[in-house]
Amino acid sequence: MHDELASKLSSLVSTSSAVAHMATLGDSNVTVESVSILEVCRALKSEGFNVCQCITATDYADRIELTYILADFTKNLELLLKTNVPRGDGNGNNKDTLPKINSVVSVWNGANFLERECYDMMGINFVGHPDLRRILTPDDWQGYPLRRDYIVQEKYLDMVVNPPAKINTEDHMFGKKLREEIGDPKKVSVSWKDTSGDPIAEEEAKDGE
Amino acid sequence: METIHLKKNIEPELTIGMWFKNVYDAVRTTAIGMGITFKYVWGRKAVTIEYPEVREELPSNSRSRLYNDAENCISCLQCAVSCPVDCIYIAAVKRPTDAPKIKTKDGTPIRLDLKQYTIDTALCMYCGLCTTVCPTECLTHTTDYEYASYTVASMKYDYLAPDIRAWRTRIVKS
Amino acid sequence: MSSHHEPIDKIMLGDQEILKSDLLTLNMGPQHPATHGVLRVEIKTDSEIVVDAIPHLGYLHRCFEKHAEHLDYRGVIPYVDRMDYLGAMSMEWGYALTIEKMLGTEVPKRAEYIRVLVAELQRIASHLVYFGTYGIDMGAFTTFLYCFQDREEILRIFEELSGARMLYNYIWIGGVWNDINDDQLTRVKNFVDRFEPELHKYHTLVGQNKIFIERTAHVGILTKEQCLDYGATGPVLRGSGVNWDLRKNRPYGMYEKFDFDVVVGRGEKGTTGDCWDRYYVRIFEMFESIKIIRQVLDGIEEGPVMGKVPKIIKVPAGEIYMRTECPRGELGYHLISDGGKTPYRLKVKSSCFTHVSMLPIIAPGQMVADLVASIGSIDIVLGEVDR
Repeated sequence: MHDELASKLSSLVSTSSAVAHMATLGDSNVTVESVSILEVCRALKSEGFNVCQCITATDYADRIELTYILADFTKNLELLLKTNVPRGDGNGNNKDTLPKINSVVSVWNGANFLERECYDMMGINFVGHPDLRRILTPDDWQGYPLRRDYIVQEKYLDMVVNPPAKINTEDHMFGKKLREEIGDPKKVSVSWKDTSGDPIAEEEAKDGE
Repeated sequence: METIHLKKNIEPELTIGMWFKNVYDAVRTTAIGMGITFKYVWGRKAVTIEYPEVREELPSNSRSRLYNDAENCISCLQCAVSCPVDCIYIAAVKRPTDAPKIKTKDGTPIRLDLKQYTIDTALCMYCGLCTTVCPTECLTHTTDYEYASYTVASMKYDYLAPDIRAWRTRIVKS
Repeated sequence: MSSHHEPIDKIMLGDQEILKSDLLTLNMGPQHPATHGVLRVEIKTDSEIVVDAIPHLGYLHRCFEKHAEHLDYRGVIPYVDRMDYLGAMSMEWGYALTIEKMLGTEVPKRAEYIRVLVAELQRIASHLVYFGTYGIDMGAFTTFLYCFQDREEILRIFEELSGARMLYNYIWIGGVWNDINDDQLTRVKNFVDRFEPELHKYHTLVGQNKIFIERTAHVGILTKEQCLDYGATGPVLRGSGVNWDLRKNRPYGMYEKFDFDVVVGRGEKGTTGDCWDRYYVRIFEMFESIKIIRQVLDGIEEGPVMGKVPKIIKVPAGEIYMRTECPRGELGYHLISDGGKTPYRLKVKSSCFTHVSMLPIIAPGQMVADLVASIGSIDIVLGEVDR
């Protein structure tokens, strides 16, 4: 199904250069060029994919991969349509530095909220979206949380995000004190994450697994 | 200037006959409903309990307050590794080789001295993953569910402290 | 029609001009009981008539997807519970299926039966909450008490089975946590035997009541085309007359073995796709669930309840999209794995999120009280909307 669809898409939309990726495990997908996404989606809708189930993005080191999950309720099919966009600059709250792609709201109205979520969480500028605002985080939030390099802002309005009083350091200090008391840090094993260079803790953790 | 067009739901035209039929239907169906409700006045047992006087007994595998029997703990850190919210803090020191050999209840030798075993109950989400991985079954969910406290700090239970170890007789069922 | 910068000349309701005053902006929620959680709907009204409704989400946002990237595959399950907290069993099942399909795990027969059993009991429990709270939305308090009494019985069985009342962590990758014993099976049987005639009574009490029909029929109409355009699923889609149920159309688990019908709204009391139809679909789905539970009780086999799963789960690199039919609609998990101990990306397709996006098309032209009826009838859980 994917091969046929890819060749059909390539003939219908010349700029799409659709390629079918067949997977041995899990789901196969069709990858297209990001510039032609709107035309491809129009073509797919006329092919019978009448429902846009989900729009999601995945952050890789060099690109952001957008996945449009489409379904055909009459023929009972589903399709993972993929496209890649550059990462752009995801710091701050500036739409101009984000990667751009055409919005598909004109094809399926359901894409409205899905694209807004995608913009909010991954920082992708959907050009032509009727109402591209943040949806889950506040309008003036900085950064895009689902990006791999996202760092939580220190201050939001006049509130401190993650104030030190709420971070549990007491128990971490206990292990440090214990190591100093015993003298030999290799003899102490602790459960929290800063166990680097502590062979016993690592060994124990491995045993535990 | 802008004109907004709103869609009006199409409903059947209301005639005089319809109006009377509606009134009749409303009275009739409400009376039927009242009849059903009325049957509940007699012959139904109360399903609620009066809480502080009557306390509910939870099923034996109910997941409530955690209790670690520190004497049987071998400090394997499996509970802390499996905890999705990282609320278990353990510190242990390697037992000297010349110290007397001790064992847990089920015969597992203890090679580490437990120095700290703290669970932040305020963070805990009672998923039960820590109790299922525990090899000596010393960490258990008890059926004790009344432990509200005034400060977040007091929700942190140090299972080596004597006052918390004293719960054992009260909340752990052998 | 999200914001009006231009001055408004007139507002037409059908072919009738209605502007009597300036537009009034009202905030419904986030602490309003009729929004079923922390949903804020900004509504613009002309006297009693809603001109525009804009949902504002995110009050319960926990960024579950980011959490999942730092958790091992077993540790995700308790988080999954907390999305749709009224249908936690179904949420867990979808997640477990996703991972099992990637791992190629064989789930024992008994575990499959238990999964169907708990998922259908959960569907009844979830629809009972809908039914009870919808009664309150409509001004009938009695149903709430009746429904919670029956739901309590299901929760009690779940509590004995899993140890928790709402957030079970019961369906694990490869099987289920605990085996069900004969005593519990008898109690399930007694419950469905007792519950079926009760449900008929409830339907007579509420669904046939003229006042309830007046409040719900011809109100909040969603046509078939609108539903497909917005991607609505579950009872909302079926209420609009589309015969689509994943349990029938793409059977997972053991559903192809069981005999049940898909309930579709037919516009019995009003127009197809109105609030009454969605109510009707949910009530009669409970009867279908009872049918399935009876078949499970007849067919359940002895055997183990946990398949062979490695102690450390490492899902091979690849991706998968798995969807299941939850009480509120289709739930989809899109998992991308790079072969490590944690998911590289786990995206949840939530049906409630899609349904909330339909509020701006339901609301205009309605009375404010009818908007309450519409929000109640699409039955959202904000934990799943915001994730």
